[in-house]
Amino acid sequence: MTMIHDKVQNTGSALAISGVSKVFNKGNDNEVVALSDVNLDVHTGEFISLIGPSGCGKSTLLRVIGDLTGFDSGTVQVSGKTPEDARKERLYGIAFQQAALFDWRSVSKNIELPLELAGWDKSARETRSAELLDMVQLSDFGTHRPWELSGGMQQRVAIARSLAVDPPLLLMDEPFGALDEMTRERMQNELLRIRLETGKTIVFVTHSIPEAVYLSDRVVVMSPRPGRITAEISVNLGDRTEITRESDNFFHSVTAVREALRLHDTSGSGVSSHRGEI
Amino acid sequence: MNSKLSYVWPPILVATLFLGAWQLLVVIQEIKPFLLPAPSLIASEFSNGATLMWGAAVYTGTTAFLGLLFGTVAGLFMALLAQRFITVDKLVTPLAAGLATVPIIALTPILNNMFNITSRTPRVLVTTIIVLFPIFVNVMRGLLQVNPVQLELMRSLNAAPRTTLRVLRIPNAIPFFFTGLKIAAPLAVIAALVAEYFGGPQEGLGSRIASAAANTAYGRAWAYVLAAIITGLIFYLTIIAIERLVTPRSAPALAKS
Repeated sequence: MTMIHDKVQNTGSALAISGVSKVFNKGNDNEVVALSDVNLDVHTGEFISLIGPSGCGKSTLLRVIGDLTGFDSGTVQVSGKTPEDARKERLYGIAFQQAALFDWRSVSKNIELPLELAGWDKSARETRSAELLDMVQLSDFGTHRPWELSGGMQQRVAIARSLAVDPPLLLMDEPFGALDEMTRERMQNELLRIRLETGKTIVFVTHSIPEAVYLSDRVVVMSPRPGRITAEISVNLGDRTEITRESDNFFHSVTAVREALRLHDTSGSGVSSHRGEI
Repeated sequence: MNSKLSYVWPPILVATLFLGAWQLLVVIQEIKPFLLPAPSLIASEFSNGATLMWGAAVYTGTTAFLGLLFGTVAGLFMALLAQRFITVDKLVTPLAAGLATVPIIALTPILNNMFNITSRTPRVLVTTIIVLFPIFVNVMRGLLQVNPVQLELMRSLNAAPRTTLRVLRIPNAIPFFFTGLKIAAPLAVIAALVAEYFGGPQEGLGSRIASAAANTAYGRAWAYVLAAIITGLIFYLTIIAIERLVTPRSAPALAKS
């Protein structure tokens, strides 16, 4: 992990976001400033988490990067390209909270979907999906239908699908949010292993503090109304092992993120973020 | 095995009790056949006239089948065309409600005048129109009620609308299509049968029911009704069998998680 981290620090920018703002329902009574002057640079190979309460714009920011939604001002560069060009050139893979697998396709065919759309021929697709099934440790399940798999297994298929065309960037929107705690921790380790094997740059949206700390090189803290970045906390845990989650270092980072979140919590209660809406 | 039996027994038991009570009521109360013929009378008329029943059922069944075929093709075509313009699922429901109020069967006399009344054409046409609507509405729903996350995924993969239609919308619509077919198939038999009440060739179930009733042969009229029910059931069960073949087994109906 450290090795990859050091190597990639020098290889340039995977993502450059500068002065990005986005307003929903502009000019209406229910106008919401989803993103306000967001600046963020991500190095190639870096793992960053976006964390914050509901409505802080973390998912919106992820969608802006993926060109799934537009933005009003500022610039975004994904591998030096506009988000639209990056999407059209398939420079990123994406995984959502829902695995969103196609029920009418086998597990293998689900993983092959991005390859089909990218025009790969059949034998190349099959070789690649077998490779990816192996990576997510589901080699025996290629011919199964998605609904025959557990939630964690479905999410692993979704991750394999997001890696299919071997894009340099991986966008993940709370991919483990619907999983139970045990599965979730196992999936986190899987993701770190996949990251080591592939060297992908990963932008990971979550609202779990321990998850963000455990996975990331850097935790980006966001706060709502208007959605903006309020803190960036570097995490230096080295190689994650079984005892990482119990180490002092881990607790210090968790505390640092928690305090950064609390600092900008406008509700004062430390939990709710809905003050002033009643 | 056990669970299969538990599905079969209750309807058989209910049907037997119902027919028994019916028979008993007719015999004890000495109800005249023009009011309510006994099941035994209907059964004997049915077996005595089996050849005639079969011929009539084949005639009406052919009309129904042709109407179902043309209506399905037309409904599918219309849905594929319409989904390019109607992109919001909310619009489909009022459209469906509006279409449901059109008294299509009442068009038969008009169609009889427009086309050759001695041919099957006006009947097939009415059946086609009746079938078209449930197919159209259900397939539209299936094309539009797509998981938004899957749509986002398709966008992230830079899929053209045509590709999204082929890869996501059409497969998504297949269960909806079968729902439409299951509504349309028995409806096709009813439409083909009722269309015969407005004149034309006298070979079908509808014509036979009408003429038997006009001749006070009530047992026979009811026997033809029974033949019509069986024809409708055959259509329905055929669709179910095709659905089983086409859609993978034990797929959860709402596996959208």
